[in-house]
Amino acid sequence: MSATIALLGQPNSGKSTLFNALTGLRQHVGNWPGKTVEKKEGTFTYKGDTYSVADLPGSYSMSANSDEEVITRDYAGLEAPCFLVLNMEDVAKEQGKTIDAAAIEKKLGIPVMLFSATDMKAYDKFYSTLERALKSKSHLDVSSLEKEYEKLGGYAEIKEQLADNAPSGYTPMWLTVKVLENDKVVSAKLKNTLDDKTIKKIETLAKGGADAVAAGECKFAWIDEILQGAVSGSKSVTKLGRLDRIYTHRIWGKPAVVLTVLLGLIASFIPALPIMGVGSLVDMLKTAVATGLEGAGCPALVTGLLCDVGIQSLSFVIKMLGFVFGVTLVFGLLEEVGVMARISYVFDNTMGKLGLQGKSVMPFLVSFGCTMGGAAGARVIDNWGQKVLTIALAWAVPCGAAWAIIPMLSTVFFGAAAPLIIVVLLLVMLLHMWITAKVFGAKLVKTEDRCGMIMELPPYHKPKWGALFRYVLGRTKDTFFRVVKVVLLVCAVFWLLSYGGGSDESSLLYKIGTAIEPVTMFVGLPWQLFIAFIASSVGKEGAVGVITALYSGTSYAQGFAEAMSGAARAANLNELLLANVTRPEALAFIFAITFNLPCVVALAATYQEIHSVKWTAKIALYYTATALLLSCIAYHIGQLIW
Amino acid sequence: MTLGELKENSEAVVSGLKGDSRFIGRITSIGLTPGCRVNVIKNDKNRPLLLFSRDTMIAVNRRECEGIEVTEVRS
Repeated sequence: MSATIALLGQPNSGKSTLFNALTGLRQHVGNWPGKTVEKKEGTFTYKGDTYSVADLPGSYSMSANSDEEVITRDYAGLEAPCFLVLNMEDVAKEQGKTIDAAAIEKKLGIPVMLFSATDMKAYDKFYSTLERALKSKSHLDVSSLEKEYEKLGGYAEIKEQLADNAPSGYTPMWLTVKVLENDKVVSAKLKNTLDDKTIKKIETLAKGGADAVAAGECKFAWIDEILQGAVSGSKSVTKLGRLDRIYTHRIWGKPAVVLTVLLGLIASFIPALPIMGVGSLVDMLKTAVATGLEGAGCPALVTGLLCDVGIQSLSFVIKMLGFVFGVTLVFGLLEEVGVMARISYVFDNTMGKLGLQGKSVMPFLVSFGCTMGGAAGARVIDNWGQKVLTIALAWAVPCGAAWAIIPMLSTVFFGAAAPLIIVVLLLVMLLHMWITAKVFGAKLVKTEDRCGMIMELPPYHKPKWGALFRYVLGRTKDTFFRVVKVVLLVCAVFWLLSYGGGSDESSLLYKIGTAIEPVTMFVGLPWQLFIAFIASSVGKEGAVGVITALYSGTSYAQGFAEAMSGAARAANLNELLLANVTRPEALAFIFAITFNLPCVVALAATYQEIHSVKWTAKIALYYTATALLLSCIAYHIGQLIW
Repeated sequence: MTLGELKENSEAVVSGLKGDSRFIGRITSIGLTPGCRVNVIKNDKNRPLLLFSRDTMIAVNRRECEGIEVTEVRS
């Protein structure tokens, strides 16, 4: 026996835990055809047969509120055998509830089982129920639901109209209810299959969705009827737990959330550091291999490609994977235990002003450490447009690498005024995010999609460590294959630009840099600083190394390569800078690199999360342009001051 | 009165929903249908309203609260 299983359920119902536990490492994330929604698929074997599983986007309603819901309900509309898994049996027990699965099964006509996704022993029951459902080819008995619907005015008449020419794949009952609910997607579908006269008739009967609320009542009347006599036990507590009293506190809620995320960020470094260490080792290998190859008489071009592009990219990617692993693990854990829902609650209002979900605060905070972590963390946002917008805004947050350079540069040039520069940068960051939200928000998150939260806060529950680890490993593996080509490509482009075949003057970057200096001077960047700015797109740590190379007269192609490894900060840097760069230029440069695109790895991580070349490129170009614009403004203000 | 006007610890029954079909769909699918009993757990300015209904804790944004008419049972 073999089958494809679709997991349907409300948000926070534990679907993903079940999916991860079933499929383990045999899962991959793609896109639904023609949609930007993530498609999570996987397989598992049971008794020698292979089953495939699809984890559908969680949804409360089967209406067409978003792409996610449309995908989910297209599955729900299928006439396929099904069975019902009632998850969190342990929580029900804790609350003193008893649930009679057999009684529910009798009323629904499909296998029903009590389940606890975190309990390893429960999976045998899952498999046997699956077998039972496949063998009996059981379909949901909706006759008593239909009896409720029949009380709605116009139900029988609309259903009659749909009987013959209804679009295939949907039951007449489902379509009729959607018509009564004034569902736009279904209306459009019907217009394709029915003639104008029938459409007119149906529209009159539907009364513009006047019965939509009543249709909702029918569903819950049916649910109540099914639960009647099947669920008993003490009425559960309506009081908030101690942790929730802190998280939902009017004053302490926000600090508590920020603290939680920052602790999470620190915690994610614990599993990340060893992996990042391996990345650094690979980086050190680069010099050794390069020396060896040169000694063996290998052409400089080949050595460069192999070491400065190949090994360098590999080192970048390994370091990135360490961080992606840590962030996915820690924030996956926060989501699984139920903390993420509280974060949504606390920041719903604030983030709503930007068109985002409350959860978006998490990637923003993580980005102060590392933007790729922010991008990886944005995965918990279940709406694609909001996810892209969140990452686009997170790029404006200066990352750890920027914090390593900016205070240093500020102190060299502005002495005691350095803290003031930092404060101005943070204010500009907020303004940048606000404007960027306006620029991209209109396209990514349509006004009608900007609805506030209506969401359950699930009870806290224990994580399922094994499933979580397997999920994180799978995700990290996925990331590796996806980003390695992006990083390779970008590194190769930058390397080629800086490659001069021995002389700096023949490199493309030098030629372009010096040729357009009259233009870049307008934004406050002499050609050396402009090249350093370009280098900062690969990695901000590198920018200072490139400046050192350029002003001290060493080969900058080599300086460029070394700087990418995060090395090269000359002892005489301060004198070099002060002798060659004016204060307005320095100010311009500080703004340019702070708000430039974060780094090549963040770019790759963004692509990995949003699955769109177009949007990744759009955001990257936008950041390059705005960085130069800010640099220009800073330069001209600087000229007025000094 | 609307849901957002309820005080903390009060109890009410949903009496009606006002809004476009999309709003209705979102509210009814989480179970806040007319006749449904709600207990207000938290009602702070600038935060979603926190309520207990149908055996679960639900957070509802203040703007969406305005479309939910309620009758107070116990203040």
